[in-house]
Amino acid sequence: MKPPRRLLGTLLAAALAAGAALPARGEYADVVLNRRAEKEGVRPVVFPHWFHRIRFRCKVCHQELGFRMRVGTNDFRMADIIDGKFCGACHNNDVAWGPERCDLCHSGKPGLPTGIYGGHETNGPGRW
Amino acid sequence: MKTHAATLAAILLAAAPPALAQAGKDLYAKTCAVCHATGIAGAPKYGSAADWGPRIAAGLPKVYANALKGTAKGMPAKGGNPALPDADVKAAVDYMLAAVKGAGAPAAAAPAKEAPAKEAPAKEAPAKEAGRPPPPKAEAAARPEAGTAAASAPAAPAAPPVQLALAAPAGAEANSFNRLLKPAEKRNPAPADDGIHDPANDGTHALMAPLSAYAGLPRSLAGNRINWVEALGQKKIDPRWDRTDLKAEPVIMDMNVVREVKGSMPDVVYPHKQHTEWLDCSNCHPAIFVPQKGANSISMASILLGEKCGVCHGKVAFPVSECRLCHSKKKEPAAARAQAPAPAAK
Ligand code: HEC
Ligand code: HEC
Ligand code: HEC
Ligand code: HEC
Ligand code: HEC
Ligand code: HEC
Ligand code: HEC
Repeated sequence: MKPPRRLLGTLLAAALAAGAALPARGEYADVVLNRRAEKEGVRPVVFPHWFHRIRFRCKVCHQELGFRMRVGTNDFRMADIIDGKFCGACHNNDVAWGPERCDLCHSGKPGLPTGIYGGHETNGPGRW
Repeated sequence: MKTHAATLAAILLAAAPPALAQAGKDLYAKTCAVCHATGIAGAPKYGSAADWGPRIAAGLPKVYANALKGTAKGMPAKGGNPALPDADVKAAVDYMLAAVKGAGAPAAAAPAKEAPAKEAPAKEAPAKEAGRPPPPKAEAAARPEAGTAAASAPAAPAAPPVQLALAAPAGAEANSFNRLLKPAEKRNPAPADDGIHDPANDGTHALMAPLSAYAGLPRSLAGNRINWVEALGQKKIDPRWDRTDLKAEPVIMDMNVVREVKGSMPDVVYPHKQHTEWLDCSNCHPAIFVPQKGANSISMASILLGEKCGVCHGKVAFPVSECRLCHSKKKEPAAARAQAPAPAAK
């Protein structure tokens, strides 16, 4: 056995173990934001599209507030959020509850990478 | 101990001495269970006679060799840890084989072929399986579904439990009605069980469960399983068009663009109406689409890669599996051309 194969095997096993132990499903269109959060000692953020689209059209966030429609491309910083930018444009104790409710946003399972979740309809291969 | 064990293993395959049996069990739990407890990646599942039967039928030396050297179909040599002594790996194999004693005999091999037990791996949490070594009895004992049969099975590893393992679980599990379709109770999970929220976080339990929001909304078969177009059309939801101005109304543009599709698929009707209900022109023009009919080259491949319509469809708007919502215009003989564009639904 050469080391690379072994490493691959271990990684595969680990990935499978992780994947199977916590099937990362989420509700369709949930976004996990974890560019910095976990490195800085807080849980990843889970942003639920379904919940917000019942209250706002896409346009409010993606045009008025200028969120780019590609996961991970917006540089959300906690300091900016507290200053009323990004999520803080609403989560300001005026439009919605404020930034002091850390655990409502920082509610993700540790270790989840940034990305969009809940997209798969079946447990098996894609319907393609 | 090592050389000792190797010799012993060679001589006493079936009746491994307690020490070695324990080593096999431990190694199984530590290294092999990751894949073999649930049958991930096609690994023969612990306790499943249907999975192991054909392999055992090919001869034990082959089975050991495959465990030691690995196979092209996904078994890593020594389970991915080349430092392991051969004897320990063999002991782990013996531990797995003990759970399916009797499989691979002609009688057992036949049903095994018909039922290549490949149930969805998500059914059992391997963490659970690995943490508590599975009962080294028949498969029936490891399955909650096997219920009473397992409970009443004798504790001694003898012929009857093996029969159970073949009859009950292979039928009940392998041939469950839906193999890949997500069962209804797993759709729209509540935050605490959705796999991405941390149940250990207090805030998680304060969050809303999707299903409690969806009551009364028109359903669909994909995505959030909500028909958002209808929900909005029937005024079941009233999302704001402006962050704070409740009076602001979207400027709806009712203009369909028909994209003729080569081949047999119905043509695509792209409706501006449903989109301008939610989106601003600048969300699509000009970054995603040049606002000119036919000026954009769109294909299913690009959509599936998350470009063009796939920027939203398959991520936030209804997914690509709903072909007919987009491919909504039947191909008609040229004479019918003069008619108004088909409505973009169903
Ligand atoms: C309350 C704000 C908000 C609303 C409303 C909203 N989004 Fe988003 N959207 C986000 C955030 C936050 C992200 C993640 C951005 C990031 O990671 O940088 C995102 C990401 C996306 C992405 C990128 C997905 C990917 O895989 O890259 C798409 C597409 C998207 N949204 C579409 C929509 C659509 C369509 C609607 C309306 C039905 C909508 N959004 C409504 C906040 C919102
Ligand atoms: C356009 C305004 C707006 C923006 C931008 C926004 N939110 Fe919200 N959010 C709301 C409103 C309104 C609520 C509902 C508040 C309430 O129930 O009191 C809410 C609720 C939530 C909830 C709780 C959902 C539940 O289950 O109750 C979470 C979590 C959340 N937002 C996360 C985020 C994150 C993360 C961001 C930034 C990426 C963000 N929001 C950006 C308006 C917004
Ligand atoms: C409205 C939602 C929301 C709330 C409430 C919130 N955060 Fe955040 N936080 C975010 C988002 C979004 C990010 C960016 C996540 C990423 O990409 O890593 C973030 C990032 C962070 C980071 C990473 C470093 C940085 O500066 O970006 C820290 C640390 C952090 N938050 C701490 C907190 C603390 C502490 C609280 C409570 C006082 C809190 N957050 C409340 C949404 C929120
Ligand atoms: C990364 C996942 C993984 C791990 C870890 C793993 N296996 Fe496997 N194993 C497989 C797969 C996949 C197969 C089926 C391969 C095939 O059909 O060729 C398999 C097949 C086998 C077989 C049957 C070989 C045959 O002749 O058909 C044995 C025996 C076996 N594994 C033993 C072990 C032992 C012992 C361990 C722990 C030391 C282990 N495996 C760890 C994935 C794994
Ligand atoms: C969801 C994305 C999306 C939004 C939002 C959107 N469009 Fe379009 N638009 C398209 C697509 C797709 C086409 C067809 C392009 C093609 O055929 O190559 C198109 C075509 C057009 C055309 C050319 C029609 C023709 O017959 O040549 C015009 C003009 C146009 N859009 C204007 C608008 C205006 C004005 C708005 C805002 C009120 C808007 N669009 C919003 C996706 C969008
Ligand atoms: C910017 C995001 C975005 C893009 C790009 C986009 N859509 Fe949509 N589309 C939506 C949203 C949001 C809805 C509302 C329904 C939903 O969310 O499921 C929608 C709805 C639709 C509907 C209406 C379905 C119905 O039930 O009436 C059709 C048809 C459709 N899209 C086709 C297309 C096609 C074809 C393209 C590419 C040419 C496209 N869309 C590109 C966001 C988008
Ligand atoms: C979001 C809208 C949308 C959905 C959903 C959708 N398509 Fe398409 N499809 C398109 C568009 C747009 C084109 C490009 C038409 C053109 O050539 O202008 C296309 C083209 C095609 C083509 C022609 C070859 C190609 O790649 O351009 C085939 C075949 C096709 N689709 C099959 C399907 C099937 C099968 C499904 C369902 C599994 C499906 N489509 C779902 C929008 C969609």
